[in-house]
Amino acid sequence: MRFQYRLMLFIVLLLWFSGIFIEWWISFDNHFLFALPFLQKTYSLICHQDKAKLLIFNHGETLTCARCTGIYLGLLLVSIIFLFKDFKRKFPVKFLLYASVPMFADVILYSINVYHYSKLVAFNTGLLLGSVGFLYLYTGLNNLILEMKN
Amino acid sequence: MKKYLSALVCGFGAGVLQIVPFLRSFSCCFIIPLAAFVSLMLNQRATNSREKISSKKALMFGIVTGFYAALFGTFFELFITLITKHNDIISTFPELQRMIESFPVTPEIKTEVLNLFQNVREEILTKGFSLLYTFSVLMNNFIVNTIFGAVGGLVGAQIINNRINNPSN
Repeated sequence: MRFQYRLMLFIVLLLWFSGIFIEWWISFDNHFLFALPFLQKTYSLICHQDKAKLLIFNHGETLTCARCTGIYLGLLLVSIIFLFKDFKRKFPVKFLLYASVPMFADVILYSINVYHYSKLVAFNTGLLLGSVGFLYLYTGLNNLILEMKN
Repeated sequence: MKKYLSALVCGFGAGVLQIVPFLRSFSCCFIIPLAAFVSLMLNQRATNSREKISSKKALMFGIVTGFYAALFGTFFELFITLITKHNDIISTFPELQRMIESFPVTPEIKTEVLNLFQNVREEILTKGFSLLYTFSVLMNNFIVNTIFGAVGGLVGAQIINNRINNPSN
């Protein structure tokens, strides 16, 4: 994939990830307050936004739960690596399935009260799935670009 | 239309799931990508196809699934708001008010933002409809759902193609 496309993908992911921290951005520019309710609605489409599961920082809370924040951070971090190096190899689908096992195990185990919900565990399992998930998103986009060229 | 019947079915399901809070909390950000993946699988079954799915086809199925999910999700959300004159804007308004008050921003901006949402709230409470709310729901649903649908389609196609290549998996 050409550098321009990789840069575009990185910027889209960066913007999406930055939106999660809108409450932090408000401290830099008060006008971001107008976007807050709108963005809350946007992120509510892809996250339950359960108050007890949001990450808390100095100036407020994230707009997505710990797990979703982990997923998007994973996507963003790996997109930075791919920004500097275009990996051409194909990744077996089983990697994606293995990476999703800890997340689903965590969801099942805390749901049946084996242990209490932990933001740290949720964040890390999301981070793992997001990081590995990027490889398949990237391969999918790469295949699409190649098909478009032919 | 017939070509995208599976996308219509899965989009409808995802649109409904998106507005049911209890179910939404379980599936979280996977509803739309999963719907796109299932629509591709259903299409393969319906057409008895053993051919690999092209990325273009996967992208189209993902986008169409997301589009239908947005269409049904928006319709149900606006319809329920119109009938009940109540929605998440009304129920979360006191919390939003407290939140805005706690931000270290100028009082003028706080007042402007609160007035804006107070107007939306009152319109919904009296008429069950607000133009700003409708616009925001439409924009959010159509942009987010089609993007997540496209991602689900592109990743889902790789999983299905892998199963075609390795039937034992």
